[in-house]
Amino acid sequence: MEPAIRMTGVTKSFGPTTAVENLDLEVPRGGLHGFIGPNGAGKTTSIRMILSILFPDSGAVSVLGHPSALDAKDRIGYLPEERGLYRKMKVRSFLQYMARLKGDEDPDLDRRISEWLERAGLPGVEARRCEELSKGMSQKVQFVAAVIHRPDLLVLDEPFSGLDPVSTRRLRDLILEERGRGATVLLSTHVMPRAEEICEHVVMVHKGRKVLDDSLAAIRRLHDPRSIRFEPLDPEADTTPLASLPAVESLRDENPGLEIRLRQGTDPSAAMRLILETIPAARIELARPRLEDVFLERASESRSPEEERQLRAELGDAAPDESE
Amino acid sequence: MRRVLRIALRDFLAVVARKSFVLGALVTPAVIAAIIHLGPRYLHVLDHADLRIEGEYAVLDPTGRILPEMERALDTRGIAEGELQEFRRNLGQAPESARALAEAAIEQARRESQWPAGEVRLIPLPEGTEMEAAKARLKDETGEAGHRALIVIHEDAVETADPEAGLGTYDLYVPPGLDERELDFMHRIAREAIVNARVSARGQDRSRIESLVRVSRQPSTTVGAGDERQTVRGFTFILPAAFAMLLFMGVMTGGQTLLTSMVEEKSSRVVEVLLSAVSPMELMAGKLIGGVAVSLVTMAVYLLTGLAMLASFSLLGLLDPWLILYLVIFFLIGFFTLGALMLAVGAAVNEMNEAGTLMTPLMLVSMAPWLLWPLVSRDPGHTVAVVASYLPPVNTYGMLMRMASTQPPPWWEVWLSITVGAASVVGAVWVAAKVFRIGLLMQGKPPGLKTLLAWIRAA
Repeated sequence: MEPAIRMTGVTKSFGPTTAVENLDLEVPRGGLHGFIGPNGAGKTTSIRMILSILFPDSGAVSVLGHPSALDAKDRIGYLPEERGLYRKMKVRSFLQYMARLKGDEDPDLDRRISEWLERAGLPGVEARRCEELSKGMSQKVQFVAAVIHRPDLLVLDEPFSGLDPVSTRRLRDLILEERGRGATVLLSTHVMPRAEEICEHVVMVHKGRKVLDDSLAAIRRLHDPRSIRFEPLDPEADTTPLASLPAVESLRDENPGLEIRLRQGTDPSAAMRLILETIPAARIELARPRLEDVFLERASESRSPEEERQLRAELGDAAPDESE
Repeated sequence: MRRVLRIALRDFLAVVARKSFVLGALVTPAVIAAIIHLGPRYLHVLDHADLRIEGEYAVLDPTGRILPEMERALDTRGIAEGELQEFRRNLGQAPESARALAEAAIEQARRESQWPAGEVRLIPLPEGTEMEAAKARLKDETGEAGHRALIVIHEDAVETADPEAGLGTYDLYVPPGLDERELDFMHRIAREAIVNARVSARGQDRSRIESLVRVSRQPSTTVGAGDERQTVRGFTFILPAAFAMLLFMGVMTGGQTLLTSMVEEKSSRVVEVLLSAVSPMELMAGKLIGGVAVSLVTMAVYLLTGLAMLASFSLLGLLDPWLILYLVIFFLIGFFTLGALMLAVGAAVNEMNEAGTLMTPLMLVSMAPWLLWPLVSRDPGHTVAVVASYLPPVNTYGMLMRMASTQPPPWWEVWLSITVGAASVVGAVWVAAKVFRIGLLMQGKPPGLKTLLAWIRAA
């Protein structure tokens, strides 16, 4: 079956700046793909090309089997990074308008709008003007606008940006429900832990180029854990003997405990047994590879410690949102 | 097309449901109509209702000939009749329908009018009266009822020893707070009396002199190829301007609405949501159709108000109904040309205040009808007027004004201008679509004209 999205050798420049360079991307039908990378990586430009809002300088895009999203707009739901509502319009009218624009002529639309608003945690806002909503509420209304017409493809650009934890969880559940209904979901975010939470496949981009495209499970497999987090039972215990173990490459202090870096090719379970035999542990666990670590490894380039700290903060959602 | 019409409908309703639109497009013409209709009646009521002229007018007449004439002039029915006759003479150049209407009004006024001067008494002052004392009586400083006026006739008001210096006149002194209408009345009485005294002194008959100097102006007849019609000078001068005004109002208000709504959608970021549902061309087409519908409603309201006014003055017959059809055609051409360009400007900028530079050329073009109007009204066949009626985007104004003038162009010229206009619409929409597509998602510094040209070449 034709994938929901296929981009082949797509390049897009704005003046002297190449926003996207030779990008290949394939999202199978029914998949939940994360499109991740720091701000300015080219995610939004790529999404705009997928939706035929922008057009590539070279390469080809196919969406839901059509050579252009213009031929399948009614089957696509889109939550743009830059939120926008008609300020003077009432929420129900706005949602009706968007659904009708998408070809949804269901006479039962009003009831579905009320149901969706309820599910989004916004019961009773139908009659309110959009300008009366908070930022988080507006964002959820816009999410409802993206899904109200039951799209086959849902493209979400930074859907969690600016949401509180409760709203984030609710939105995550709604996205998973849409995926459960059979919709293909492409979720773009610069916050990698969010992608780790719900995506099954991840495409990483950096400076317009794809640096990784694999399932989350495969990424974890490929980036085999070679670190163990260890906390001795006795906080005063001498941990230097661990450094002389043959499996151990290096030790690094963490608060609390240590990060034990293993040598290449070491079996982590055997190494853990050895460590426990050497010093009794209050806690010992394999350090799972985090996407931000994978990203930093893939996007290999010389960075100052300060630049790396800033990039980590951004990828971990500690930095303010910026548009691309 | 379904999406285009959805957008058009939303934009149309978003504008016409606003209070400002209802006030501007519906209430304003109603108020204008009410003022034009009721204003003269209200003034008539003011002129005749609450004014009762009574009291004493002190008159110092060293000639001894003016005072008796003033007494005669107070025979008010004679004055009123004279004024009505003069008014009727001035109607000579009005169209037949307007004359009939005015005649009816004159008859009604004759029946209703009651000259309010029955209580005026003239008090002659003896020669040598102290002027300051006479003026003091006007002020009523004693607390007694004073004179309402002091009329001082010049000694040479009737005859003079020095003909080259001309005849004398009169001075009028009144107390403060006098009603303007009573002041007019005093002047009229004094002037009438002096003129009558001068005429009598020379042994002449005033009515005979008036009949000798009066030549009533007759309506002219415009003789065209195959037809003759009455020339109505004021009407034919104003009609081109009225049609240009309607066209201007429809195009500019609609274009301004498009610009505002586009900037609003762009600055509120709603445009990207729309672009996920429709193509830029569909969005632009929908907005243009919505805008044209708004403008048509506005124009229809003003046009109907104008027609109703013409009908109420029995002037509707002077208007060629085909002009209305051509007004709509030229409006559509003008609107789609200017509206598309305004949309492009709206898409290119982020805030209304950034639109100024890009709007300048469009605003200059919009001034064209006011430059053309005097020329086309006086000489519709002038080279500039003819060229302007083929030169987009001012050809809509130029041709429509020529059509409404006394020398309407032949039909092939009209349709040639329409064809040129249609081509200009295609060109404007083509250019606007290119700017629109790129500008919609552009943020930051607004583009200059050079950048816009680059967008047009690049898209």
